Amino acid sequence: MFKALLKKQFMEINSWLLQDKKSGKRRSVGGMVFLIAVYAVLFASLGVFFYGTGLTLCAPMTELGLSWFYFAVMGLLSVLLGAFGSVFNTFATLYKAKDNELLLSMPIPPVCILASRLLGVWFWSFIYVALVFVPALLAYLTVGAFSVSAAVSGVLVMLLISVFVLTLSCILGWVVAKISTKLKNKSIVTVLLSLLFIGLYYVGYSKAYAVLQALIENASFVGEKVRGAAYPLYLMGDAATGNFLSLVLFSLMIIFLFAIVYFLMSRSFIKMATANNTAARTKEKKSRIKARGLKGALLIKEFRRFVSSPVYMLNCGLGTVIIPVLGIFALIKRDMIGEVAVFLGSDAAALLACAAMCMAASMNDITAPSVSLEGKHLWILQTLPIPSHLPLFAKLKTHLIVTSIPVLVCALCLSVAFSFSAFDGIMTVVVSELFVVLNASFGLFVNLKMPNLKWTDETVPVKQSLGVLLTLFGGWILIIALGALYFAVNSFIAARVYMIVCASLFAALSLALVLWIKKKGSRIFATL
Amino acid sequence: MLKIEHLNKKYGDKKAVDDLCLHILPGEIYGFIGHNGAGKTTTLKACAGILDFDSGEITVDGIKMKNDLLACKKKIAYIPDNPDLYEFMTGNQFLNFVADIFGVGEKDRKERIDSLAETFEIKKNLSDAISAYSHGMKQKLAIISAWIHEPQLIMMDEPFVGLDPKASHILKQMMREACEKGSAIFFSTHVLEVAEKLCDKVAIIKQGRLIKSGTMDEVKGDDSLEEVFLELEGE
Repeated sequence: MFKALLKKQFMEINSWLLQDKKSGKRRSVGGMVFLIAVYAVLFASLGVFFYGTGLTLCAPMTELGLSWFYFAVMGLLSVLLGAFGSVFNTFATLYKAKDNELLLSMPIPPVCILASRLLGVWFWSFIYVALVFVPALLAYLTVGAFSVSAAVSGVLVMLLISVFVLTLSCILGWVVAKISTKLKNKSIVTVLLSLLFIGLYYVGYSKAYAVLQALIENASFVGEKVRGAAYPLYLMGDAATGNFLSLVLFSLMIIFLFAIVYFLMSRSFIKMATANNTAARTKEKKSRIKARGLKGALLIKEFRRFVSSPVYMLNCGLGTVIIPVLGIFALIKRDMIGEVAVFLGSDAAALLACAAMCMAASMNDITAPSVSLEGKHLWILQTLPIPSHLPLFAKLKTHLIVTSIPVLVCALCLSVAFSFSAFDGIMTVVVSELFVVLNASFGLFVNLKMPNLKWTDETVPVKQSLGVLLTLFGGWILIIALGALYFAVNSFIAARVYMIVCASLFAALSLALVLWIKKKGSRIFATL
Repeated sequence: MLKIEHLNKKYGDKKAVDDLCLHILPGEIYGFIGHNGAGKTTTLKACAGILDFDSGEITVDGIKMKNDLLACKKKIAYIPDNPDLYEFMTGNQFLNFVADIFGVGEKDRKERIDSLAETFEIKKNLSDAISAYSHGMKQKLAIISAWIHEPQLIMMDEPFVGLDPKASHILKQMMREACEKGSAIFFSTHVLEVAEKLCDKVAIIKQGRLIKSGTMDEVKGDDSLEEVFLELEGE
């Protein structure tokens, strides 16, 4: 029985390679080879990165006799990567698996289901851990101290770390499952947490070099502190260098921790796996009856759709956060930016600001999957007694409201930072806002031309559609092309005139697209 | 109330609806029966204005659908076979959305929502996200949304699927009451006993063609509707 479960679990793991998630069909051999090649390049790149980091840390620490500290740092890094990579996988695999009810209805002990699922989670934990630890071990064997015992104990510690990551992921996955049953505004919280993570990631990335340097310079001091305050970390590092006693103690510690977590999970597995997570998702504070006009009702519906989906918000509305941040950053660095304005001149600087704003505004492509996202609900809009262009205009308005306000804020910030003249400031606002209109209408146009209503997972229209790709890169390509054109003709045409030309172009294109949407687009929408 | 004249619809080479003619009068409950793939849903969708047809004429309360689709839709309510409603809304939000679109005033909508939700026993669930609803609850919500603007013509595709016996009973009562007020109801079903007891008239469709229609007595005579249906299907 357990063997059958394991087989099913590994078929599930292999499905990423064997099956095309979009079409549900088996991949061709060429497709599989391509996928393997992509992952091989990705893993190799990460491997090279961590090997380089290992080389930087290993030599100075080994010289100081702090090899254990080197492994403690790299081990900690692998734990962080593994836990981050596995936690959502754990939640989905353990508690959100679609076959939980099917398996629980069969004569299989729940602990067997749990164990087979955990094995699947462990596999991915191990991959993440190995991504860091294998290069780290190779770096140690290259520049540290090569010995067979170090190689063997290194591999054993890597396995133990992957079990620890599994334990940690189980705890975090359990917390995520618990939270998801209680959380009300899950979409907003998910978006905020994702943004927080992206922010932390960039801060971490920008500070990584300084942290590494500080670690190397103060290795002895930090090492002593770690040994005193975080003894398990010392044990892990020491075990990896080949100390047998540390290896035994570290193994016992990891196995003990895992056993406790497994015991606790097996007791709550059925309850968690069969919990109706959607039941507590949203509940209005009070039943409200409030009449709205036709356009208002459609607009509210579009907003609700947008804020209901973290995937939609993060992939198609990230600009709403990035654009004001760009403006605030410009204000903070206004001394430096002011110098650029002096160097380029107010008019050319305004043109540069417009280009930056348009690039950032391109990140919002809310309209691009909006028709596809109607999916199986399309019948509702189609049966209602409303002109077909009204739902489409509601989609446009949603994009414009969500994007144009941050763009206005950013344009004003840039105008202050660059100390633009009144004309340049106004033109920065006008050009950027007209680009937002163009981008919104182009996204809707593309989606009406290439709708995909037969999806089961909304990531398909949001992340994997050609329309979204065309809208995102189409905007960038247009800006780059206009920038290149300016460099070619700037001796004949003043920057201010060029801004007027761009604004006119954006306005004309937007008008043409809006008219197309109203006439032809609405006909397409009515008959989808 | 609903006049279907020589309706034709093809999917590729396959004729889904073939020269269909039906006339549904105000105050009538008209059942539409046929095997799977006979063309019932296609006909209902065409009458609801969500499926373009190749030729023929559909008239709602004297207004030709091809001439003024929106005017027709204002008189119609349609419930599909699978109640796929906006899962990102709560029940209340969805009902308000539909009421806004049909321009139902606050007082009227409150009365109707309260009354219908109470009748279907889902009042306490209206503040929940639709994603948390069962199939039956979604069906009940779809029915309430269809009744909220007091339509003159109600079209339903398999409306009893997923409803508990009590809700089915309530729906039958609502259908009868709506017809007493002058509305017309056109619905498809596979439950022939329901059709036999509930409908004033019935139409049997096979491979897109109307094979028999009329009052219940005209269609079934002294036999049961099931016997007539099976006999006609076997021909």
